[in-house]
Amino acid sequence: MLVKLAWRNLWRNKLRTSIMLSAMVFGLMGVVSMMGFMTGMYGSMIDNAIAWQTSHIQVHNSRYLNNPDINSTIVDSHQLIASIEQLPQVRALSARFVTDGMVASARSARGVRINGIDLESEALVTPLAANIRQGEWLSLEGRNPVLVSNKTAERLRLRVGSKVVLTFTNASGDVTGAAFRVRGIFKTPTSSFDEGNVFVRRGDLMALAGIEGSHEIAILLDDEKAAFSLRDVLQAQTSNQNTVRDWQQVQPMLASIINQMGTSNAIMLGIFVLALSFGIVNIMLMSVFERTREFGVLMAVGMQKYNIFLLIMLETAWLGITGALLGIAGSVGLMRLLQHTGVSLGKLAEGLGAFGVDTTLYPQVSLTDYQMIFITVVAASILAALYPARQILKQRPVDAMAEKH
Amino acid sequence: MTIQTNQLCKTYNPDSDFPVHAVKSLDLAIEQGEFVAVMGPSGSGKTTLLNMLGGIDTPTSGEVRIDDCDICELKEKELIAFRRDHIGFIFQDYSLLPVLTALENVEFVMQLQGHSEKECRQRASALLKQVGLTDQQHKTPAKLSGGQQQRVAVARALAPRPRFVMADEPTANLDAQSTAELLDIMQQLNEKEGTTFIFSTHDPRVIKRARRVIVFEDGELKEDRRQ
Repeated sequence: MLVKLAWRNLWRNKLRTSIMLSAMVFGLMGVVSMMGFMTGMYGSMIDNAIAWQTSHIQVHNSRYLNNPDINSTIVDSHQLIASIEQLPQVRALSARFVTDGMVASARSARGVRINGIDLESEALVTPLAANIRQGEWLSLEGRNPVLVSNKTAERLRLRVGSKVVLTFTNASGDVTGAAFRVRGIFKTPTSSFDEGNVFVRRGDLMALAGIEGSHEIAILLDDEKAAFSLRDVLQAQTSNQNTVRDWQQVQPMLASIINQMGTSNAIMLGIFVLALSFGIVNIMLMSVFERTREFGVLMAVGMQKYNIFLLIMLETAWLGITGALLGIAGSVGLMRLLQHTGVSLGKLAEGLGAFGVDTTLYPQVSLTDYQMIFITVVAASILAALYPARQILKQRPVDAMAEKH
Repeated sequence: MTIQTNQLCKTYNPDSDFPVHAVKSLDLAIEQGEFVAVMGPSGSGKTTLLNMLGGIDTPTSGEVRIDDCDICELKEKELIAFRRDHIGFIFQDYSLLPVLTALENVEFVMQLQGHSEKECRQRASALLKQVGLTDQQHKTPAKLSGGQQQRVAVARALAPRPRFVMADEPTANLDAQSTAELLDIMQQLNEKEGTTFIFSTHDPRVIKRARRVIVFEDGELKEDRRQ
């Protein structure tokens, strides 16, 4: 009876309830959109970082992490690679020969990281092969081919077929170098990555360096969550001179982004819920005070005060549940649409590209987010009605019935 | 079952320079099954007396005893339960819940008593039949006339089988025909179910039907006659 009575009481003033519900629905759609875009943007950064840069797990020689010397190759890399390939969680791996150096054209020179890659395995670990904007992916044909980014090509005025000189310090500590010809021009979502990386065949680079081995093993897994446990497994298996790191350790910024993502969403939701609570306090105060006499009559005919309290709480709970459900339904519809169309970042894309954000954003809102929103809105609605309810419960029936409302 | 007051006083603003003595040292006894009209001019203390007899207002001093129980001594929760189980109220403005139908309004207090849904439905339907509103039982108060609403209020007051019904000027807003119909109904219920009715009124049509008339003036009992 109380549940039914509360629901009907909610609709006594249809206009007022509708206005409040509309405010909740549009407010929630706004908050969910904001949360969705933030999560989508951060998700895009994380996904791109994992896809292009960190993979899920990386292995290095511990000394290399402190001082990227060309001689600090991974200890027992062949044995380690063989054992990693046996692991069922591993989708692909790429062993890279990496050194810092210079790329120079007739026009200019830049400091870059020169990545010596195995063509087949690298194509399985990163999407580089599929993102060649001009020219083509590296192949075994031809002498000293190199991939440069469009940024580097722009700065050094390069085209496909242009000649560049790569110089770096070899294993003996001498400066060495060779002429390479641009085979392809790539573009990743992260402009800072583009500016600082070139790719050559691993064999070409090792021949110039005068040593063999790998400086970096990048491992891609089927399930991202397995990275943390597998990291420990691999660390136990490999030489203690090597360091195995998961993607959050490789780029600690990603871990802080994940933490910040929850915080920023909570802040947005918190602000909305606070504003919503004031609205509900207002509406419940009006609703309760204009029925003071009615509550007096209810007390007179034998309704216990805890039942009156429960009635008011049920009314506000209905308001919260209805508003939250309608708001979430509207938000789900809007998110579906935006996930289909995406939102182009336009001029913002160039600036955000430095952080690895895609040029088109696709908002992401998880089921957990919706559950959190629902619970928060309903809880806030109930809390907001405590004050109005208390004001009524303080009244004696005879005083409440004397009210003129 | 008797309702009895001993030296019952009610003073509003007792500490102010102008205290209002609504009821002064009243000794009164009303037996089970009586049909009593409390009459007097406006401001004479009729409503205050009914409120104290019904346990919705507390006296400044004195006591209200129903059988051996001084209801003024009951704790709030016990008093609310006592009112629910033993006292029915009929108000001048009907005071029905506007969002409930006539039937649901009558069932409401019985549900607070914890009766089953079936039992509530049966008794509420029977009471609405007694007050001649079977055809209107699914209508909300807004769709009923004043007389019909007051008949629903009578049915609601009687639904929990109270020993006493306090009716505060129940016919004040009704026309002559509705008043006559309502009084017929209440008189029948009084005789049939033995429920005690106590009215506050200055309506001569009610006073004419009452078997006992208590005249109240300036908070004092001026006359107590049976007719």
